[in-house]
Amino acid sequence: MTPFPALDIIKSLKSVGQPLKRKEDERLITGKGRFTDDFSMPGQVWAAMVRSPHPHARIVSIDGSAAMEMDGVLGVFTGADALADGLGQIPHNPVPSTNFDVKLTGRGGTPVYIGEHYLLPADRARYVGEAVAMVVAETRQQAYSAAEAVMVEYEELDWVSESRVACEPGAPKLWDTMDDNVLVDATFGDIEGTDAAFAKAANVVEMTWVIPRVTGVPMEPRAALGSYDAETQRYTLYAGSGGAVRQKHELAKVMGVEPAAVRVLSFDVGGNFGTRNRAYVEFGLVMWASKKLGRPVKFRAERSESFLTDYQGRDLVSKVELALDADGKFLAMRADNLSNVGARCVSLSPLSKGSGLITGSYDIPVATLRSRATYSNTMPTQAYRSSGRPEVCFAIERLIDKAARELGYDRLELRRKNLVSPEQMPYRNAVDSLYDSGEYEKNMDRLLEIGDWAGSAARRADATKRGKLFGLGFANYVESSIGSPKERADIIVHTDKGIEVVIGTQPAGQGHETSFAQVMADMLGVPFDDVTITLGDTDVVTAGGGTHSGRSMRHASTVMALAAQDLVDKATGIAAELLEVPADTISFADGLFGVPGTNRTLGWRELAVAAAEKSPEGLRVRRDNEMHQPVFPNGAGMCEVEIDPETGGIDITRYVTVDDVGRCINPLIVHGQTHGGIAMGVGQALWEGFPIDQGSGQPLAGSFTDYGMPRSDNMPSFICEIAEVHSPTNPFGVKAGGEGGTTPALAIIMSAIEDALLPLGVIEIEMPATPLKIWSAIQTLRAGQNAGENA
Amino acid sequence: MLTVSMTVNGEPVSRDVEDSTLLVEYLREALGLTGTHVGCDTTQCGCCTIHIDGISSKSCTVLAAQVEGRSITTIEGLGKDGQLHPMQEAFRTCHGLQCGFCTPGQIMAGAELVRTWEGPLDEHQVREEMEGNLCRCTGYHNIVKAILSVHAETRGKVDA
Repeated sequence: MTPFPALDIIKSLKSVGQPLKRKEDERLITGKGRFTDDFSMPGQVWAAMVRSPHPHARIVSIDGSAAMEMDGVLGVFTGADALADGLGQIPHNPVPSTNFDVKLTGRGGTPVYIGEHYLLPADRARYVGEAVAMVVAETRQQAYSAAEAVMVEYEELDWVSESRVACEPGAPKLWDTMDDNVLVDATFGDIEGTDAAFAKAANVVEMTWVIPRVTGVPMEPRAALGSYDAETQRYTLYAGSGGAVRQKHELAKVMGVEPAAVRVLSFDVGGNFGTRNRAYVEFGLVMWASKKLGRPVKFRAERSESFLTDYQGRDLVSKVELALDADGKFLAMRADNLSNVGARCVSLSPLSKGSGLITGSYDIPVATLRSRATYSNTMPTQAYRSSGRPEVCFAIERLIDKAARELGYDRLELRRKNLVSPEQMPYRNAVDSLYDSGEYEKNMDRLLEIGDWAGSAARRADATKRGKLFGLGFANYVESSIGSPKERADIIVHTDKGIEVVIGTQPAGQGHETSFAQVMADMLGVPFDDVTITLGDTDVVTAGGGTHSGRSMRHASTVMALAAQDLVDKATGIAAELLEVPADTISFADGLFGVPGTNRTLGWRELAVAAAEKSPEGLRVRRDNEMHQPVFPNGAGMCEVEIDPETGGIDITRYVTVDDVGRCINPLIVHGQTHGGIAMGVGQALWEGFPIDQGSGQPLAGSFTDYGMPRSDNMPSFICEIAEVHSPTNPFGVKAGGEGGTTPALAIIMSAIEDALLPLGVIEIEMPATPLKIWSAIQTLRAGQNAGENA
Repeated sequence: MLTVSMTVNGEPVSRDVEDSTLLVEYLREALGLTGTHVGCDTTQCGCCTIHIDGISSKSCTVLAAQVEGRSITTIEGLGKDGQLHPMQEAFRTCHGLQCGFCTPGQIMAGAELVRTWEGPLDEHQVREEMEGNLCRCTGYHNIVKAILSVHAETRGKVDA
């Protein structure tokens, strides 16, 4: 690992590290946010989708004539029309792209076949809810009514939704060009070494875990407003996403135009969590319809459409085996992970991210992993909050709990015995991921202290006295933050309104306008209030990798640091000219350029004025940076639950985390990220799920009535502490803080439930562990106990 | 079409709208007050919470015509005389918002809760009272904190 060279511009930090209030809040708390549906254009009309009611069906014919007769209807558009107009496919690139991502392939190293993704399919519908036609009408109500009058003749086909069925030979097949549904089948690690270690192991524990499908549920339903200007032959699209620049390039491909002919605007985005990081068909459809009809066209998904057709998350089956010696030292690990990508492949990030982290926080000398992905008749899956990491964290942490229970170890001691130590950093794990830094055992110790682990015995006794089942949950975690490797920053020193930074990440609540300004303020020695961050309009923001995978703070602070250094160099030259001294005699400190030993100084504004007099460009720099090296945020978490044995109802009475995020730029924001991340993980463990009815192929969660959300009354308050072990891989030492809350949460909660039921016996409960499932498990265990007593 | 008149944020307004127009559509589309959001269209998420005569209501399942003559307050009108309402200020101070989409509804519901609650208010009660406003970003921790802080400031000490 090459440590990042120290930048001399990083001196005393004034803004960085402070819990400053967010710049973006003023507009958001006063109703002045700029979300996609807040934009309207003169003459705008509305689009509605005709969606498949079948999980798998050939489209025989589509008849829009009755719909066309209805009030206000302007057009009915099908996949055949789109093909006739030469529209292309959404150019997904699902295999993660940095040098350090695990490389997933098809069988025998073959390229991965990703399916076809036209805006509307002309051949078949492959999942319930897939848009097969679009209706455009004067009003939204007219469009939705007319969509119901479009007559689609379907020929129903056999379907499959469960990955373990879909990957079998002979399962209903999604894509004719393939022999079966398995698009990825790759093996990593040292097979012979692993086999040898298992052969000599004193003990082996194994388990198969299911991490079911969930969906992101950003509170803002996805929306799009497209318009086409015939004069300039340019498309404009308002669409909240995880990165406007990516959307621009992908949609330009779909439309068959140069990227310059597409402008994408994405300002305030009402939640993302991965859900919005890939282009949606409706984005291209409103652009196409606008060109066809000569009117701006708007779409806003109903919540039920969001449930059915937002890109979904997780859906992994993981079989893991762990070999231990007689002293409880881990010797080797085997894993077999099967990911359900849905009807077409838009992202392999979950499988890839998880693959590099199967050994978790532990020093396991050898491991092998088989990673597979299969198609199925379900909505495609995508990275979802901490893509791939909660899954593998769950697998290793729950397996360690099982090993401790079965082999008679204390679950904390077994972990301590095997943790990667600080002295081993940087540590290369058995599947070739290079952990940059971290103090894993220290995280654990601190967690147990602030969470009062020692006091849990008294709380258990108290809960038991009240008739409750008390459970104590624990997990360590390590995760990787990689993400798209390229980022660009422009810094513009204005003559009258401070310093502007233009950058291509795309926040959806992470507070970039604040934390980026903190970094830039310190770099340039100016007050925080003097810096503004510009995001989200591709006519201004010309490049950038978007926001995902915990990449933004690390990539942004790095490219901003480099750009700031360039800017200081440039400004030094101008100052030297103005002060009539050689450039190497100019010193820069606290936002002032001066000549040591004199009282002659120049500030940013004066230099900007001087630069503006010389050239219209004024004082500005642009810097591009490419950074592949991943970082590995890590930490530990614990919780306590109380279960009512008569109802299966569960209360989380304590939830504590310690998270090493590297350098923390704004603790207010980082804690907020942790809180939200915890809620998403707890939600998956306890309530959230997207099951498919195996009789009909219909999804069973289509509204907030049947999708269990974390709510204010089922969530606890949290005790969270930030640990800062600076990463050597980037100038500020940033790791990431957006996903650590989620990564261990599934394991922490399920570990607590297992602990609570332990007095009754051992039983596996598949997530989400709803009160019904917990109650049923209690009945099963009690029946077993009674049978045992009566025998 | 019918003419619907009401008072919004202290100003009398009147618009000709389709009979089926929802209150949230009237606010967002007829009046251009886009601070009130639509998160689910089925009264489940609370993003569209506004006050009708001072009482929190979800405006996505109220017809505009049903509130003829009533007084409506939206997030745009919660602050007075150019000052933020204490609940708006508290959400900012406590970092009670991230993406900001559910925030107007949370603030409107929280403001009414504190104004109308009698007696001491504790965390458990805030969590019970606010369960109709969903948030996907914050895990609710800082929303609860913000509401309790306003209660403590304006209504006396928070119960431990």
